[in-house]
Amino acid sequence: MKKGFITLHVNGDAHEVLVSSQHTLLDVLRGTLKLMGTKEGCTTGSCGVCTVNNGRGEAVLSCLTPALEWADQSITTIEGLEKNGCLAPIQQAFVEYHAVQCGFCTPGVIMSAQAVLNLTPAPTEEDINDGLAGVICRCTGHIKVKEAIRHVGEFGTAP
Amino acid sequence: MSKPEDLSVIGRRQPRLDGFEKVSGRSVFTDDIVLPGMLHGRILRSPHARARIIRIDVSKARALPGVKAVVSNVDAPDMLFSEKQPLLAKGFVHYVGEEVAAVAATDPLIAEAALDLIEVEYEVLPAVTSLRRAQQPDAPQLHEWAAGNVALTHEKDFGDPDAAFAASDLVITDEFRSPVQHNTLAELHVALADFTNPDKLHMWTPTQGAPMYQMALARAFGLETSQVRIVYGNVGGAFTGRGRAKPHHFIAALLSRVAGKPVKIKATGDEEFIMFRGSGETQYRFRTGVTRDGKIRALEADVTFDAGAHAEWAMILWLPAPYLNWLYKVDAVRYRGRFVYTSTVPKGSHHGGIFGRLSAGWMQHLNHVAEELGMDPAEFHRKNAIDPGHHALDGSDFASCGLKECIDRVVERSGWKAKYGKLPPYRGIGIGIGAQASGGKNAANDTSAAMLRVADDGVVTLYTGIPDMGQGSHTVMAMIAAEVLGVEPEDIRIVGGDSDITPFDWGAFSQRGTFTTGNAVKLAAEDARAQLAGIVGPLLGVAPTDLEFAHRRVWVRGSTPDATGRSFSFREAIGKAFNGVQGLAIMGRGSFNSPRPSGSLAYSFGAQVAEVEVDPESGAVKVIKVTAAHDLGRALNPLAVEGQLDGQVFSGMSQVLYEECRMDGGQILNPSRLEYKLPRTYELPEVEYILVETIDPYGPFGAKEVGEGPIVVTMAAVANAVANAVGEMLPQIPMTPWRLLRVIRHRRNHGLGPGD
Repeated sequence: MKKGFITLHVNGDAHEVLVSSQHTLLDVLRGTLKLMGTKEGCTTGSCGVCTVNNGRGEAVLSCLTPALEWADQSITTIEGLEKNGCLAPIQQAFVEYHAVQCGFCTPGVIMSAQAVLNLTPAPTEEDINDGLAGVICRCTGHIKVKEAIRHVGEFGTAP
Repeated sequence: MSKPEDLSVIGRRQPRLDGFEKVSGRSVFTDDIVLPGMLHGRILRSPHARARIIRIDVSKARALPGVKAVVSNVDAPDMLFSEKQPLLAKGFVHYVGEEVAAVAATDPLIAEAALDLIEVEYEVLPAVTSLRRAQQPDAPQLHEWAAGNVALTHEKDFGDPDAAFAASDLVITDEFRSPVQHNTLAELHVALADFTNPDKLHMWTPTQGAPMYQMALARAFGLETSQVRIVYGNVGGAFTGRGRAKPHHFIAALLSRVAGKPVKIKATGDEEFIMFRGSGETQYRFRTGVTRDGKIRALEADVTFDAGAHAEWAMILWLPAPYLNWLYKVDAVRYRGRFVYTSTVPKGSHHGGIFGRLSAGWMQHLNHVAEELGMDPAEFHRKNAIDPGHHALDGSDFASCGLKECIDRVVERSGWKAKYGKLPPYRGIGIGIGAQASGGKNAANDTSAAMLRVADDGVVTLYTGIPDMGQGSHTVMAMIAAEVLGVEPEDIRIVGGDSDITPFDWGAFSQRGTFTTGNAVKLAAEDARAQLAGIVGPLLGVAPTDLEFAHRRVWVRGSTPDATGRSFSFREAIGKAFNGVQGLAIMGRGSFNSPRPSGSLAYSFGAQVAEVEVDPESGAVKVIKVTAAHDLGRALNPLAVEGQLDGQVFSGMSQVLYEECRMDGGQILNPSRLEYKLPRTYELPEVEYILVETIDPYGPFGAKEVGEGPIVVTMAAVANAVANAVGEMLPQIPMTPWRLLRVIRHRRNHGLGPGD
């Protein structure tokens, strides 16, 4: 079993963590760093609740990627979206549009939505559909989720 | 009853009060809780659908460093999960996934490795892995007490069905089947047990309600109910999948007791698909008698449910009988139901209970009846629909009923008359109707209680046991309390989900949350308000009943809230009570139980129209639009109501078009959320909602349920739309491309187009 220290930059903070080849990025986020906002679901990449953003702002399934591959990389989790104690526009929009119900998938859905906005600041319907295709939200049917993303895409701010 | 203009909070589009926690990653779910010394539990499950256990040897697992407890039925207390069901397999296994042994270790990977070291020798026996096979005369008998594998039967007649059928001009029979379906909850099944003190079992777990879990665990471990504490802060969806404690709850407690440490058991993604209690296979035969002019005389349903290996959810067997006579004015109703054992995991139901799947078939059948009569199905439903004040054959009374209005409004908004029978080939439109009880009282005690405390700073704390599984119950309870006390929802803090603290509440079952718990919360708030009014009234020189509470103020009725000397702010009023001579600490209490001996006080009604397009080459269905009208009494929080409708349209179309556990020899072939198909964003239809407010006399501020009624109707409307698109009733859900292609090709081979 390969094992070693890596440096992970999570939400702007550098963390030196001991990881083995058995650990996923999700194991490190939740188990080592206790960043419990990112949820563990199926662990096979089919539900999307573990989605985080990589250094380029893209959506990544943290349950599927080995932690060792993330040496010196930057990651943003749901805990890293707030700025100066204020929710990010997409987070505030999720509250206002009732795009949240049970909330278990919400961190993964918001990080997927944030990735859409990172890559296409004024997303089309197709961009939104593509960006959310990797997450399942049984409660909302994604209907109000899409409304929240459209709002931030159009105005750049929360309602 | 208050007039709408008198309400300041109710009816407002109120965002969730826990929204900040949920969008910021601060919400704590069970898996986020790590207790000192906590161990990780894993369960060894049967790989066979039916087998005799020859030998279990756990010695190697026990010797693995890091393993702190191993339990199986050779060396653990002889515990029962239910009356005829051992907690850990004893002598036999009856389904793939049955719990055989379990391990608790310091690390999940050690626990997993220990499972591989448990030796179990099986003698495989012939299994019965489908409902059809279970009913064949030569099928193996699975339990000694169940001849023909029939666990239970239920027969119910209302009126005289034989006479009513005899008096009918036309009698039509149709058959239908629904598959094994999984709840696919966002938060996978998880239980964290701390049973280190033998006098108290603490359990953190997502649930639809604490009492059923407390009672079952107390019985199993020889405790009093109050010695079991269930903590359920955030619940990641339920959809009928968290109604009762499952074996992993008991096993986590048992491992914790044996190891003397807290133990967490969490299902893996594929394990979730073998330990669930979703819908089983179900067979239906519907028969309806009508007069030539379209009046329904008799309704009959014969339903055979797959119970799985144990009749855990026998209560679903009783549910169709009353449902059959809630919608139409009929002369008679007949129900025949049976619960049949198979060598599969015990079954219950999925989102929509048994009503959604039943309606996907029943409403196609009634559509068929209407078309045989040459009637427009929308007119057929309307002609037979009940009115307010209707007294049904089963004894149900409908004080409020907006069924006809729902039908009229979806017909109008969907453009039904311009489209039905006039759409191009392979485009279809379908209508469905439905009803749902707000709290289907099945026992004398169907109680919800609530407590409310007002602190000296005016902050109100509401204690409620109703779980918030996403439906927004905590926010709506805060709105109800705020409306009564004349404060804002943000002024109400909810303490919920801890059976050591929160008062008795059966929980979120049978659509009882808003109605039953809502009434309890309203009573608690009224109690607190009356206490406050008793202090404030004399200070303002009026009787306590002559006060108004709103906008965070208390004032003399008939004056204005800001009239100097004739009003207080809510906080000032609380200060008068708290710091006055009486030193009164305001605490309200409320308890609600329907005064009816059984059955509900209120029923919601709905009608929906779905429009679909079927690709005749691929068989794929695109749902274009769903128009939904729901009589929910009053929309307490229209924003949350829309959220409920969104989720039910999504889940309803999903169950009709996609969802199916593909089974082979008792094994599930598609145990993941990629292979068990759910709609993704690009498959969602346009939706339009019409909220019909009939202001029910028994509901809190007139409200009835909206959490399950709509999905039942979505399933009916989508099923009928697809049937309309291809040209015939479809005998099975889900209506997958493969199944639709067979119908389309068969019809083409017989020279029939979709409209023939």
